[in-house]
Amino acid sequence: MSEALLLQNAGSIAAAVRAGEVSAEAVAQASLARIEATDGTVNAFTEVTATRALATARSLDARIAAGDAGTLALPLLGVPYAVKNLFDIEGLTTLAGSRIERGKPPAKADGPLLKRLEAAGAVLVGAQNMDEYAYGFTTENSHEGPTRNPHDPARVAGGSSGGSAASVAAGQVPLALGSDTNGSIRVPSSLCGIFGLKPTYGRLPRNGSYPFVASLDHLGPFARSAQDLALAYDAIQGHDAADPACVRRPLEPAAPLLSLGRRGLRVAQLTGYFHDMAGREARAAVARVAEALGGLPKVELPEVARARAAAFLISNAEGAALHLEDLRRRPQDFEPLSRDRFLAGALIPAAWVIQAQKLRRWFALRAAELLREVDVLIAPATPVAAPDIGSEWIDINGQRFAARPSLGLLTQPISCIGLPVCAAPVWGVHPSMPIGVQIIAAPWREDHALRIAHALEQAGVVQAPIARLV
Amino acid sequence: MNPEQIAAHVDALAATLALPLAPEHRPGVLRYFALADEMAALVNGLSLSVHDEPAEAFVPIAASERHE
Repeated sequence: MSEALLLQNAGSIAAAVRAGEVSAEAVAQASLARIEATDGTVNAFTEVTATRALATARSLDARIAAGDAGTLALPLLGVPYAVKNLFDIEGLTTLAGSRIERGKPPAKADGPLLKRLEAAGAVLVGAQNMDEYAYGFTTENSHEGPTRNPHDPARVAGGSSGGSAASVAAGQVPLALGSDTNGSIRVPSSLCGIFGLKPTYGRLPRNGSYPFVASLDHLGPFARSAQDLALAYDAIQGHDAADPACVRRPLEPAAPLLSLGRRGLRVAQLTGYFHDMAGREARAAVARVAEALGGLPKVELPEVARARAAAFLISNAEGAALHLEDLRRRPQDFEPLSRDRFLAGALIPAAWVIQAQKLRRWFALRAAELLREVDVLIAPATPVAAPDIGSEWIDINGQRFAARPSLGLLTQPISCIGLPVCAAPVWGVHPSMPIGVQIIAAPWREDHALRIAHALEQAGVVQAPIARLV
Repeated sequence: MNPEQIAAHVDALAATLALPLAPEHRPGVLRYFALADEMAALVNGLSLSVHDEPAEAFVPIAASERHE
């Protein structure tokens, strides 16, 4: 019972625990057992917090048995989840995918988003693999080994939150948390065939997580349905003054609005750069979504390639500056796949970065003009479906691009200006793999993106089936 | 920048920053700096005025605010 229930969505798990059909402990055990059975293939986890998970679940069961009304009302009651290993977990060292952080003191407390998920009844089962210091799009982590795509273990899971996305696709957990600086939630969502939400820049606090690029970092959830994504997102909203970028806004729950679907929303398809840099299957995924929405007008943002270049420079320079001391003292301990990029980033002239920050605002103003005319923009999430592990190159319409930096070609321009995006998975346009679309909304309108994702899911156009691993 | 200019910049700035570049790392650093230079050409290719503000704006912190 609990094994089958684990593969349902988070809302169903919480309902079953609430109804007394299954204990939170049994669900946690089922999650731990599936991780044990499948992670030899997937390699999503770097730490499994079994003792903590079972203690948390038993505590919930005791409160349920006592008839505690507050506990029974929790939206994620007994739902297992896991987090990218850049989130602080009390008692564990925050690795951020690195060798360098190993041996540093353990975190004294959970990060705020974990505290909020636990307050909503969720049960942490572990920490997950990622590209070192979040600088990558493939989760080919040389220290921990690559996370493998649950739908085809020869392929990458995407990154940098690859372990988090893969674990949701593998049915190990129904929810996970990751981070997205240039696409690190949306790229693995696309390649693993799940839903991911990058909220508006400044919506969620990032304190209690290891930074990469302060001016671009976002945190957000993964799930296998838009409804679950909204439940998790609603649970983690809220201001925290410890993150200077976190904006003081009221809670704006999205889950109660999903049933509104597309009603009243003006939706358009982004073309130009977003067509030119998309491979055949990415274009087909967007076409399928556009058709399901009744045909969409095509609109363009200006100078997208320059906006992507701005994000590249800001990330390269800020990320390198963050690690400058370690780059000086122990470059040999960095991930070989990103070390030289970090070293080069340390040498970028200040004038380039300042111009990039100016261009970023210029581009945000152009996007704001467009978002006066439409509410939601549809674009491909990745140029191609998941490449094989070890791929150095990807082919986009006959042109060869370096694989690792180019998987984010379509996500970088959007995170550069902090717009909320829901990545939603399309199947059937590639012979065996999923590929995602980005559902992009105006700042602070995560609800609009989630409503369209939910409507497409209801129409059967996007879906997140669990990989057949066992 | 041509390859010689990139190499000169990389070596000079690495020295300024006291950032040693191991011989086995230097070719990769030159390759990635050339990529950054391509990105900079794109970024600097858009004409912006002195009145175009950067994206980041400093927010003063009141004494009453918890900030860490």
